[in-house]
Amino acid sequence: MTPRRAADDRRPLGDRLAAYVLIAPAAVVLVVFRLWPLLLGVDFSFTGDGDQDGTPVGFGNYSELLHDPYFRIALRNVGWLVVLLPVAVAIPGLLATFIFLKVPGHRLYRSVYFFPAVLSPVIVGSIFNLLLSYDGPLNKLLAAVGMAPVDWLGDSKTALFTVVGVHIWATFGMALVVFLAGFATLDPSLLDAARSDGASLVQLIRHVIVPGLSRTIQFVFVTTMIGLLTSMFGLLYVMTSGGPGGSTTLPEYYVWIQQGQMNRPALASAASTVLFLIMLVVGLGQIAILRRSGRED
Amino acid sequence: MKQRALWSVAVVAALALTGCGSAAGGDKTSNSGGKLVVWDWKSGDKTAANYIAKAKADFARKHPGVTVEFVNQPFDQYYTLLGTAIQSGKGPDVMMFNGGGQIRDRVNALVPLDAYVAQDRQRLAGWDAFSKDGKIYGAPVTLQGHPIYYNKSLYKQAGLDPEHPATTWDGFVKDCGTITKATKATCFALGNKEGIGIQFWLSGMGSGILSPQEYDDWIAGKRDWTSPDVKKIFDLWKQANDAGLNNKGANSTAMFTDIFSVFDAGKAADIIGLMSDIGHWKDFGDFLKPENVGVMTAPVVTAGAQPSLPYDGGIGYAVANWTKDPAVAADLVRSLTSTDALSAFYVDAGAIASDTTISTASAGPAVGTIVSELKAGKPALHVALSSKTLDLMGKLSQQILDGSVGVDDALRQLAASDKA
Repeated sequence: MTPRRAADDRRPLGDRLAAYVLIAPAAVVLVVFRLWPLLLGVDFSFTGDGDQDGTPVGFGNYSELLHDPYFRIALRNVGWLVVLLPVAVAIPGLLATFIFLKVPGHRLYRSVYFFPAVLSPVIVGSIFNLLLSYDGPLNKLLAAVGMAPVDWLGDSKTALFTVVGVHIWATFGMALVVFLAGFATLDPSLLDAARSDGASLVQLIRHVIVPGLSRTIQFVFVTTMIGLLTSMFGLLYVMTSGGPGGSTTLPEYYVWIQQGQMNRPALASAASTVLFLIMLVVGLGQIAILRRSGRED
Repeated sequence: MKQRALWSVAVVAALALTGCGSAAGGDKTSNSGGKLVVWDWKSGDKTAANYIAKAKADFARKHPGVTVEFVNQPFDQYYTLLGTAIQSGKGPDVMMFNGGGQIRDRVNALVPLDAYVAQDRQRLAGWDAFSKDGKIYGAPVTLQGHPIYYNKSLYKQAGLDPEHPATTWDGFVKDCGTITKATKATCFALGNKEGIGIQFWLSGMGSGILSPQEYDDWIAGKRDWTSPDVKKIFDLWKQANDAGLNNKGANSTAMFTDIFSVFDAGKAADIIGLMSDIGHWKDFGDFLKPENVGVMTAPVVTAGAQPSLPYDGGIGYAVANWTKDPAVAADLVRSLTSTDALSAFYVDAGAIASDTTISTASAGPAVGTIVSELKAGKPALHVALSSKTLDLMGKLSQQILDGSVGVDDALRQLAASDKA
């Protein structure tokens, strides 16, 4: 027994208990309202639906998910979101750069760019439903320049990209603000030095701004990924209902449909568990990235 | 020090107790004999106020001591909320259902009503949609079906006889061409954003394509997805769209309720609509004037088909099996389907009520046609399918329209889902 433990033992019992008592409320809340329901959900996913309610079915629900082409589409769409992530980060990054470099009217743009971030997804979705409808303004514009109209939300080849585009439009204001905060920490003398050495705008971004902002960029990557995976529901609900042909279904939307419309709560639990595992992997990956960038300091 | 520790214990204990209390102290009132709780998505409508008041009054005469509380739920969340209630075995005593898959999927949570509603069997129509395996689980309030409505003034403008629309598919398509040429209106108003357009198409056009034998077999559960006539229904779905008979962007136009306004505005000559709730003769009549709304039977595509009006029980009320006294709850369901209450619903909301004794003589010509076709009508084809197959059919129908799935592939998937 180490001397420290011995010292602990000499303290009165009440004192030693106090520490546990004090963390108990937080721990109880976590266990009762987070961990326990999570375990119940995972447990529930191994039971059947309908006539088989409550009876164990092993991995039956999971194999059904695996064989459901529309769940596979939902997973593939998650893959698309990861592919589109750099675009979602590059847009606010680039615009923030322009504002930082004080393009004409940058004060106005700073507030205009942030404006969509305060709108609810339902309102944004409704606005774009009108703009993107087949006989809507965007297609009229295309027709005016002699291009064929596109059924933005009604064609399974374009719908996901349309909705992600609207999501980026609606949320990039937040990332822009984070970027601008990052720029505030950038050393202006480095920029001046590069400029007086005759660096072009592209060289300036490539060799001065991006390295100086690496931690900000990583942070925006993490928050944008979380936003794409967890807050698209409102837009999907209003704009496409997961269609056409399931092409804009994401796992959380799939869960909602199975639970609410199809009366398959156990199958929905299985899908939730899969979504949880995906989020766990993404989350752990992001923590690793953040840790590494923290160490660079 | 000891005192502080004791205090913390006391605080935590108090928190835990109140926490438990609020979690466990859920909706106990709904099970008490003195009160019945009803869930639906209609009682909040202004047009249903009179109906609910009459039903309540009727029930109060029979059970003066029992109070009734209606909880109006939002329809798009209704089955999600109900699912949670069923999962926990606690919730409303009486609840509203759509006929068909929605109630059949949930009969485990319901009381068979056969013994209670025996006297109403003759008076009301539409029981099949609320039955499963020979037992009745709900009483129909409205009838829901899919008449093909047409805009008589567009027919007139195009120089066609508005009282005698074409009865064959070829004639129908020809008329459409004439109308589009003269008025720029498209043939069909089609909204398939939710994947519901195909359900209306299947049921609205089906009786003009399937032979009477095939039709009855389909309803009886003997569905042959490989038959040429079934394939024809889906081929025509594709062809009609490719030939430009539908409005543009059908996959991105919502059935509820964007597409109805396309028909209301005279931008389309025909629409497969509903009989009750919305998208029906009363809604269309408000915009186009009642005398301009016509109802036609399905145009005949295959020789030998006998077009009929597809309809079933629309919405109805059922009794939960956790209710304390099923007989009292069943009496409330009977009050909700009494002639007096249902005629109020018909007059105010324009619903085709399930009660066959209500006179509809005073309404426009469209409702007259619908009611006259009820006798020869048959259950709608899509109502016979499970909600899982309907969901799949909705997705596939969108993929057929945008060309990412072929008709044969879609039929193969539907056959597999229907068998499961």
